[in-house]
Amino acid sequence: MLRYAIRRLSLLPLSLFLLSLICFGLLQLTPDDPVQRLLPDEDARLSNNDPEAYDRSYRSAAADLGYDRPAFYFSLQNAALPDTLYRIVRPEERALLRAFTLRTGNWPAVSHYYHTLKRIAWAPASADQPETTTLLRRLLLQNDFDRAKQSINDLPNAPQTAPLKAAFSALETQTSRAKLLLPALDWHGSNNQYHNWISKLLRGELGVSLNDRRPVGKKIGRALKWTALINGFAILLVFFLSIPLGLYMAGYRGGRFDRITTVGLFLLFGIPSFWVATLLTNFFTTPAFGMDFFPSMGFGEVPEGASVWQIIRIRAAHLFLPVLCLAYPSLAYVSRHLRRSAAHEMNQAYVKTARLKGLSRSAILWRHVLRNASFPIITLLAGILPALLAGSVLIERIFNLPGMGQLLYNAALVRDWPVVIIVVLLSGLLTAVGLLLADLAYAFADPRIRLNATKPSAS
Amino acid sequence: MKQKGWLRRAAIVWLLGLLLVAVFADFLANDRPLIVSVAGETRFPVLHEYGESLGLVSPYQPVVRNWKKTETDWAIWPVVPYSAGASDLKNSNFKSPFDKQDTAPRARHYLGTDDLGRDVLAGLIAGSRVAIFVGIGSLLISLLIGVPLGGVAGFFGNDGLRGTRARWWGLSVGGLLGLLYAAVSLLPFFRVESFGLTILLLLGGFLLGGWLLALLLGLIPFFRQPASFPADAVVLQAVELFVNIPALVLLIALLAVINQPSLWVVVLVIGVLRWPTVARHLRGELLRIRSLPYIEAARVSGLGRWRILFRHALPNAIGPLLVVSAFGLGGAILLEAFLSFLGIGIPADEVTWGSLLRGSRSRPDAWWLAVFPGVLLTFTVLAANVLGERE
Repeated sequence: MLRYAIRRLSLLPLSLFLLSLICFGLLQLTPDDPVQRLLPDEDARLSNNDPEAYDRSYRSAAADLGYDRPAFYFSLQNAALPDTLYRIVRPEERALLRAFTLRTGNWPAVSHYYHTLKRIAWAPASADQPETTTLLRRLLLQNDFDRAKQSINDLPNAPQTAPLKAAFSALETQTSRAKLLLPALDWHGSNNQYHNWISKLLRGELGVSLNDRRPVGKKIGRALKWTALINGFAILLVFFLSIPLGLYMAGYRGGRFDRITTVGLFLLFGIPSFWVATLLTNFFTTPAFGMDFFPSMGFGEVPEGASVWQIIRIRAAHLFLPVLCLAYPSLAYVSRHLRRSAAHEMNQAYVKTARLKGLSRSAILWRHVLRNASFPIITLLAGILPALLAGSVLIERIFNLPGMGQLLYNAALVRDWPVVIIVVLLSGLLTAVGLLLADLAYAFADPRIRLNATKPSAS
Repeated sequence: MKQKGWLRRAAIVWLLGLLLVAVFADFLANDRPLIVSVAGETRFPVLHEYGESLGLVSPYQPVVRNWKKTETDWAIWPVVPYSAGASDLKNSNFKSPFDKQDTAPRARHYLGTDDLGRDVLAGLIAGSRVAIFVGIGSLLISLLIGVPLGGVAGFFGNDGLRGTRARWWGLSVGGLLGLLYAAVSLLPFFRVESFGLTILLLLGGFLLGGWLLALLLGLIPFFRQPASFPADAVVLQAVELFVNIPALVLLIALLAVINQPSLWVVVLVIGVLRWPTVARHLRGELLRIRSLPYIEAARVSGLGRWRILFRHALPNAIGPLLVVSAFGLGGAILLEAFLSFLGIGIPADEVTWGSLLRGSRSRPDAWWLAVFPGVLLTFTVLAANVLGERE
């Protein structure tokens, strides 16, 4: 038992490490620019009038955030690219340099073109040719080689643009594409973005939201409270209803009670809960059909100095529908699976023995069958922890409850990455821990199960 | 079992009907006539559209923008003479199916309209196309990944795949190196941009790298010893890692990363997230099948192992695979409805069951917006569940 637990536990860090890599990869893939979002608006206005000053403030902001470091401990890239490309902090310019180098293979020429372009484009806009300056500044963002060529051909032949044209034609003629065939592996050491991010995370610094600059930990703590509340009630409801339901369906299998409940639970399992929730909110929380029985949204306001009963009444009115919608799919799931496994147990010899001993049907069901048929309950238990976060996205959205699901949804919509990544990581952690606990519980309920054995009805 | 037979038949009929509706959606709901005679010329506007998008035919001249306002000699219209997402301002602001509607005699909005007068029935038909596309597409992807992995893991187990150490080390290490080299150096060198060629080049890099390293390692005596590839352990470990990924949460995060929402991405992500289910079930099934006498007989009669797997073992596992597939189909369609209800990942101009349901939230008394898409979704999920029920 202990060895099994230890072997199972040793897999957990690996899963979490991989998940943190996935999350970090997501962070790298995000198309928008976090530095730009954190810069104050005055700086953004600067970008038109004085690009050089803007570049300076951008660089210092990026350095503060650690974006001027390599992304990971090592990098595997084309040998034509310089190993210090990460020092170019602006993503658009990095994309330009990368695309042009991969096209020509000649880094010095690309670098020369880039610096020439920067010098000319950042010169104060001449009064007589404002559109030339705009065109040049747009070239700094153009990472498509052929389009850049087009734009450079369209530039007027003025003395100031001559060096740029020369640099670009050098780029076109002096290619060394053979260099592209070599790969290069570079070691960057521990001063990198991932190391920085993960060590901060391990120290408990979760970062700040890009949206409102509030600490992520605080936002999650507040949301987690509400999600835990509604999920806690839902889980209690599921257990109190589904265990007797499943057991008695198996105990009286084939009877009328069993047949009707089986059909009912099958329907309940198939009806999407977010549809039911939408219907319930539309019909019972709005005056549209004259059936405005429940308060509409949120958790309700508790007035100052309200008694305990008042608080309970207000909260219960707000919680009733969401808890119902959250609970019924799991209720159907657990009851159906409990019925199946309990019905299987009812055919075993030990049940016959118990009956011959003269035990009542209830005593057989509760004392002997339940433990042996408890796999579906454990499977549900495994799902509790991750469900605290993920399962309630739609329900919280529909009933407008300020829980984890709502937090994730809103953060994803405005691309508030620090929040999204932490929620993903947290839910991955909870999923892994839940599955681990379930595996241990399976082994506890049935000592025959060992690691790598096929899990019974875990799907 | 006999009394359940009609239920399964009904479920199959429902899903096939949905498939037909999805395939012929343009001919069922369209604001262009199917066949029309205008100024003595017979036109097939809906069919012609397909030809135009395939580049086979040039557009009709003169171009007709709005067929409803065009004088025609005669016209055969689709059953629902409205396109999904096209507004009908004469019937805007949530017309109920039973309201007085300002339409031509045979062009009622049978299931009502929404705020801009968009026809709900046309939306449902278009939504069934999206649902079927996402359902079948992601199912195919999960089968494409899950069947080979689950099949090999279940059939060969940990000691079925025999070879030399050089072969397995070469294929796994050399293959990885070859793949990375192709991605880092060969792709920019050959300026490969199309998706298909990229995949082909990466696959080539994998195979060539694996073959080369295996050849090289074969020179060392240590690597010439026979060894078997632990296929079952590797696949189980991969499944284990995937199971730990919180699917819905990751899906929301992933789809929010992508700048331009597209149905293909949704299909790909759902498919990739669902392969472990397929692999696990197929593995379990093949574990059972490989110990059956007829496989033993085939082996004794000298058939190749891969031939036994593909010609004899896998066909026997198709039944259970179909059951898992039906369940997965329902799950994928439900997930698509989730996402479009949230408005994440599905293009905004695509009308789906989920987007219709979302529309109903702004106007609670428009019950037809909430009820009809939900009923379709429920029947589809129930049909998939009936077929996916394990006996």
